[in-house]
Amino acid sequence: MIMEAVYELLKAVSKEHFMENMVSIPLIQPVIDNLLNIPLVGYVVALILWKPMFALLIFPGLLTLMTVLLFIIWFERKLTARIQWRRGPLEILRWAGGIIQALADGLRYFFQEVIVHRDAHKPYFIQLPILIFIPVLLPLLFIPAGSIVGIKTPYALPVVVAIVSLIPVFIVAIGWASNSRFAYVGTIREAFMYFAYEIPFILSVVAMILVYGTADMTAIVEKQTIPGIILNPVAALVFFISTIMATSRLPFEIPEADQEIAFGPFVEYSGIMFGLVMTIAYEKMYILALLMSVLFLGGGNGFPIPLLGDLAPVIWMFLKTMAVMVALAFLRSIYARFRLDQALRLSWTTMLKISAVAVLIGAALNIAQVA
Amino acid sequence: MIKIKVRKPDMVENIKLHLDALLTGVKEAVKPGTITIEYPRERRWLPDSFRGYILFTPENCISCFQCSFVCPANAILMKKSENNRYYPSIDYAKCIFCHFCVDSCPGSALRQTKIHDVVYIDLDEMFCPTENMINPPEIVREDEYTVEYLMDLDIILKRVKERDDLIPEVKPVEIIKEYSSCYEPDSCLACGICVSSCPNEAISITSLDGEKRLKIDADRCTGCGICVKECPVQILKLVKG
Amino acid sequence: MSEREGEREMLLDVPVEPPVEMFLPIPRRFLEDAYRNDDYIVLVGPQHPGSGHMRIILRIKGDIIVEAIPDPGYVHRSMEKLAENRLYIQNIPLMERPAIMDTGNVTLGYVRAIEQALGIEVPERAKYIRTVLAELSRIGTHLYDAGILAVFLGHTTGFMWPFALREPVIEAMTRISGTRITSSFIIPGGIRRDVPWETLEFVRRVTYVLERRLKGFEKIFIKNPSVIARLKDVGVLSKQEAIKFGVVGPFLRASGVEYDVRRVEPYEAYDSLNWDVPVADEGDSYSRFLVRVEEIFQSLSIIRQAINELRSIPEGNVISPDVLDGYEEASSDIRGYFYRVFGNLVLPYGEYTSLTEASRGTLLYSIISDGESNVPYRVRVVTPGWYYLKGFMESLRGERLADLQAIYGSFGYFPPEADR
Repeated sequence: MIMEAVYELLKAVSKEHFMENMVSIPLIQPVIDNLLNIPLVGYVVALILWKPMFALLIFPGLLTLMTVLLFIIWFERKLTARIQWRRGPLEILRWAGGIIQALADGLRYFFQEVIVHRDAHKPYFIQLPILIFIPVLLPLLFIPAGSIVGIKTPYALPVVVAIVSLIPVFIVAIGWASNSRFAYVGTIREAFMYFAYEIPFILSVVAMILVYGTADMTAIVEKQTIPGIILNPVAALVFFISTIMATSRLPFEIPEADQEIAFGPFVEYSGIMFGLVMTIAYEKMYILALLMSVLFLGGGNGFPIPLLGDLAPVIWMFLKTMAVMVALAFLRSIYARFRLDQALRLSWTTMLKISAVAVLIGAALNIAQVA
Repeated sequence: MIKIKVRKPDMVENIKLHLDALLTGVKEAVKPGTITIEYPRERRWLPDSFRGYILFTPENCISCFQCSFVCPANAILMKKSENNRYYPSIDYAKCIFCHFCVDSCPGSALRQTKIHDVVYIDLDEMFCPTENMINPPEIVREDEYTVEYLMDLDIILKRVKERDDLIPEVKPVEIIKEYSSCYEPDSCLACGICVSSCPNEAISITSLDGEKRLKIDADRCTGCGICVKECPVQILKLVKG
Repeated sequence: MSEREGEREMLLDVPVEPPVEMFLPIPRRFLEDAYRNDDYIVLVGPQHPGSGHMRIILRIKGDIIVEAIPDPGYVHRSMEKLAENRLYIQNIPLMERPAIMDTGNVTLGYVRAIEQALGIEVPERAKYIRTVLAELSRIGTHLYDAGILAVFLGHTTGFMWPFALREPVIEAMTRISGTRITSSFIIPGGIRRDVPWETLEFVRRVTYVLERRLKGFEKIFIKNPSVIARLKDVGVLSKQEAIKFGVVGPFLRASGVEYDVRRVEPYEAYDSLNWDVPVADEGDSYSRFLVRVEEIFQSLSIIRQAINELRSIPEGNVISPDVLDGYEEASSDIRGYFYRVFGNLVLPYGEYTSLTEASRGTLLYSIISDGESNVPYRVRVVTPGWYYLKGFMESLRGERLADLQAIYGSFGYFPPEADR
């Protein structure tokens, strides 16, 4: 009995088991084959290329996340600078246009002093910026790129939406632990905005579940011969605006409003802790952009590239995600910040109406499909 | 009178305004109107009248003290040099670059340059004694291009691959000859303050019939006006010669 | 071992205790009353990204500002007292310190008071060049304030563009006066030196460039729906209120009062040029902003007309012979004669007052002379910021906390100018 269990376990972590479900890349297949034959290296290569592990580590997981973070912060600054008749970050790695600026800033944060002020709730104040990475990173496991997916489940979409909805709770907790007046105002604003965008956001997702008739993201991508943005443009609009609100980007940068309440919930953080809390919004933006590319832009669908094999959907999806993120970054240099009451009015009236229309469209399409 | 009337835009106008703003942004992203001059590598073209670092020519100085009198920031200190003359030295920690001193200098001894980026290690070093004002300060020039703003319907940056000469030729001021003279010799106390104050030994007191008289050598007098300021009974004044 | 003081290593092991008793310039009763009524007090500034160098003590009920009490004076530099220890001419650079971008108008006011005392008539050419300089300063200040308003609203492009558009203005001022902003170019009796024709032509071209680029700015910021939403119907001052609280300048005109010193008591070349006074009726933040935008266009037109007029006035003679007093060689360039002409300037006994329309409103100078010393006995400066501070605070009442920055920016309140 025990022996059988051990045998099963060994089988589960064996190289052969990993090789059964491996990312195939015809272009570098000979290299991979050679590497697989080397005793220890082969095991590591098989583990990394095992599809769930690949999803966790490479795409859409950690490696891509880091690259995207470094890139989008630089790109956003560069794009904003271009629109504003400036140069933007330039001096760090000058020949590449200052592309590692975000890395340099991160390093600087790392060597800065972290000040924990007297009135803060110390354990929460220090723990929460790290704990918040749980809801920020978990959804990555459920988002598929072609056949590469961390955890394949028919409930992927509700799970992702549920986990993403947890993030504001952590931000409110951060503001509470900061125990400062501006953090308090910012936390209240974050809570208000949370209620404002959450319902249209969920409704637009529901509309798309109705359109596709399933909540399994792999199936959703497969069903999108016509991209969702054409099937239900209203839902796409609602989802996009909710994404802006959820990632607190202009014109809805209300909880952080640095001129009004000096970064709101994050006002008391310094050093690397500030670096961590400032990346949360970008990570959330990455997840919602991935979700948007799955729901509305056809995820990994695109022209198959035979040489790249399983990597082709990865590339298509990456490009679509980046397009969404660039669109989000672009808005920063166009809009001023709305007031809290204006944003609330917008979401509780106009957005709610539009999202109801989106659900109706979804239902109509669903009935049409069934019929 | 122009009456400005604004009303709240309605839905259609609102969408149009949104599109306008977005399109302007896109247009700038595609073809930006950048006006940046990358300073250490490029240097902005400056007019010759630019008020920068001040240079000093001792030969033209008549030690009239006018620069230090007019300085609004009290930045100019007159220091006695070896040849018994007083020359200005500037404290750049105080200088506000109004160039009242340059405009006051009657013999063009002070002149402006386009140098505006001298680095000092500490406040003490910012005090610039007369010796250091004669030659331009040492600055590191990384610039290869000179950029000039041309205004031709839009801001045009004209980049020329050459180094701008930071020390422009300055037309010297037309010197009018002035000298000090005593207009009321009867009131003279013969106290000798003017004699000791004169940097050029142009004033002397001669005894004539037991009466002491002031004698001003008009050729040696530079017209600095120090004796005019010093005279306790205010009987000296500058006259044009 | 280095002997330099700064490079020695030092150990700081002082236990830092935050101050227990905080000084607040408000009565204790006010605080107690606020807490009893379940309001709370928020101190905005002086180290706050959206306050400038001042503190605003806000009493807030929910999100609504019940009362706003200003605590200005953080950048008070005792200019009036400093002016009593300096020669009349040395006060010119001092007077332009508070309103750094508005150099043309602030020095003009001071110099006009001196000219009034001495009874000097300024040469025609100098009048027009002074007008050009004053209007360039006005454009620069309005652009600066538009930028600050934009950054208060979180609109970064609206911040960067006006600051970039200031650059041609500053370039024009550099070519006229030799320095970027603190020009000290206007002196009693005229201007420091004549401006050559090429420079005036350059300034004329600058006006067209500004007009062209302001079109894009209008689309992305002025008419941006999010900006309209933030500014429209916010911080309303009615006509009666604006007059009662002594608001001045464009902010008074935004409330429907047509009052402009340049119109009422024309000085320099304003009465011979054709221009309009922009007035709005609403009195809200948006119209306060739009009035100033319209003023930029009026200023551009004034500059063009002035330069056209200058075409027919012969070069040279920009300093009045009344002030030169024997040094007529200096009439086109003061270089070499500055101290000899102005060093012993003594005003006749009396009090001399001048009103100027500075960019942010009425600017009052009052010089009292004892008639024998070469320094003023007293200089009174009342800057526009000080005039409209009360109106600014009153317009905050009943607005939301987030509107504080919008109203602040719409007034273009500049603490150094108000504190002097």
